[in-house]
Amino acid sequence: MSRTVISMKNIIKRYYIGKPNELQILNGISLDVHEGEFVSIVGQSGSGKSTLMNIIGALDRPTEGSYLLNGIDISTLDDAELSRIRNQEIGFVFQTFNLISRTDAVRNVEMPMMYAGVPRKQRLKRAMELLEIVGMSDRASHQPNELSGGQKQRIAIARAMANKPSILLADEPTGALDSRTGRMIMDLFHKLHKEEGTTIVLITHSPELAEETQRIVTISDGSIIADTGVRDNAVS
Amino acid sequence: MQFLENIRLAFTSVLANKMRALLTMLGIIIGISAVITITTIGSSIQKTLTNTFNSLGSANYFDVYSQINYEYVEDVYSFTYKEEDMLSREMLNELVETYPDYFSLDLTDGFGSSELRNWKDQSVKVAVTGIIGNVNNSGLKLLAGRDINYQDNINHKHTIVVSDLFVSQYFPPDTNPLGQTITLELEKTGQTEDFVIVGVFELPSLYSKYAYEPGMKDIDKVTFVYVPLDTMNNLLHQENSYYGYADIYYNTDYDIDMLQNILQEFFTEQYEKAEKPYMTVYIENMQKQMGMINSVISVITIAISVIAAISLIVGGVGVMNIMLVSITERTKEIGIRKALGAQNSSIRMQFVIEAILICLIGGIIGIIIGLLNGLSIGLIAKTAITNIYPEYADLFTITIQPSVPAIIISVAFSVMTGVFFGYYPANKAAKMNPIDALRYD
Repeated sequence: MSRTVISMKNIIKRYYIGKPNELQILNGISLDVHEGEFVSIVGQSGSGKSTLMNIIGALDRPTEGSYLLNGIDISTLDDAELSRIRNQEIGFVFQTFNLISRTDAVRNVEMPMMYAGVPRKQRLKRAMELLEIVGMSDRASHQPNELSGGQKQRIAIARAMANKPSILLADEPTGALDSRTGRMIMDLFHKLHKEEGTTIVLITHSPELAEETQRIVTISDGSIIADTGVRDNAVS
Repeated sequence: MQFLENIRLAFTSVLANKMRALLTMLGIIIGISAVITITTIGSSIQKTLTNTFNSLGSANYFDVYSQINYEYVEDVYSFTYKEEDMLSREMLNELVETYPDYFSLDLTDGFGSSELRNWKDQSVKVAVTGIIGNVNNSGLKLLAGRDINYQDNINHKHTIVVSDLFVSQYFPPDTNPLGQTITLELEKTGQTEDFVIVGVFELPSLYSKYAYEPGMKDIDKVTFVYVPLDTMNNLLHQENSYYGYADIYYNTDYDIDMLQNILQEFFTEQYEKAEKPYMTVYIENMQKQMGMINSVISVITIAISVIAAISLIVGGVGVMNIMLVSITERTKEIGIRKALGAQNSSIRMQFVIEAILICLIGGIIGIIIGLLNGLSIGLIAKTAITNIYPEYADLFTITIQPSVPAIIISVAFSVMTGVFFGYYPANKAAKMNPIDALRYD
């Protein structure tokens, strides 16, 4: 068995909207993800998958339960330490790409390395390598508004990979793309998974996309209702 | 590393909203330019006064006036004093002999004019002035030879310092005047005396301009010649002489207040010894008065600058306002940066640097405008003086002198305004919740 990257035990997340009204979004989620897995988390909107993603991505802390990311207990960390975890351990890919505007592709890719304190020369070299991997090296000096959606998403993926994170956390990465470009992005994830051995957590509401992955975790009303475990018959 | 990156980012963001950034800077620009304009005018006035003052001759002397000792004399209105009660040559001589290192005398007395015949037998007139001290104390520049000195006076030497114009009037061209003897007829007694030329001074152009009528021939121009005062007194059998006031030059290596105290004590003692306790001296010093004028101008400049600086606070609030708008607009960007691992401190630094940059650019533009203002006001003043009082135009060399400390303080103040008014919005950005920021549209 390979190393455990994500180890969640009985995660509960509550929001307090005024004193008497508390809203429990996650009702005790337990989930383990191992190194090199390609997992999809599926659920309808309102099922709690976004909240779960925020916790996995160290953007938020659970109200109760324990979450170990690479053996580090996230629930006890302060803001600065969470920032460091996001920088080093997590690579985010968003539905709306979220590139920084007025900043060219290569600088966008460099950004996580800048916050990690990587020297300028070194991060430029790495950024160019990553753009090569996602097939965007000829667009390095383009600004986001000069790129198509698919191109933006590929740059976002390159950026997510910058600090060699433990997991690539993709939130509806094809949601804003047409089916053909969406296909290309999914192919890129499969390529990264196979060739680079990247651990990928894909959050989606689409069962078809989930079908492509090795393992499907289904969430409903804040609880895991199904987990296929690692399958060999994943479509690729 | 990240600091440089932040500066680059700040530039990008300022350039992306040029018009807005410029309007934001306006408050800072107006504040700083007002301060720089005022300080430039203030320091230019000081510099102009000092220059004008210095061009009139050395200022390193005390004016010592003999006057009634009001502490001693009860009925000051009916009290009168005689000529012999004033400053005597004996006293003054004793002063420079007691303190040769501190003081030197500068006394002059006119002895009428004297007519000479030059090599072509033309008439050349000179005004004879007896002097103790230096001709260059009166703002004259020696071209050749030496000055009349104290030894010339003590030893009653027949030495003379003449003007360059006199040399060309009296001697054939290319004559070395030094060592030549000229004969003067003393106006009072009619006796003739020989004097040896020891030095030549340059007739100041200002003097030539105002002393002679336009179109006057060089040969008709009367110039001063300087001879030792005591030699003249001796020739005319004037034993002692008395002065209502005397210029006493001092050595600038020593503290001026100390020297003034010594003078005051010396003369008080002298009058006591002479059993004239009803007399004393009053001492004035131009350098000190200049200092007072300068400090008054400085105080006024600073006071007006402080009022002008108040507009900087208004400018700073403008910067704060626009930074708050900016972080609201860029909430999403802040969220993305946080998701990518930016620390709160990085975000804070990014926005503080942006605010500093806006203020600094505003400050620099303000300084340039302020300097241009000061320059044009100086030029206007110059033109005005030249046109309205052309006769004083040469006297007042208007010097435009920007105040360097004011420029340095302005730059520092701009940066501080940026930090002060940028910190609150930057901190607000830094403390944003990344989830909410990411969700912001």
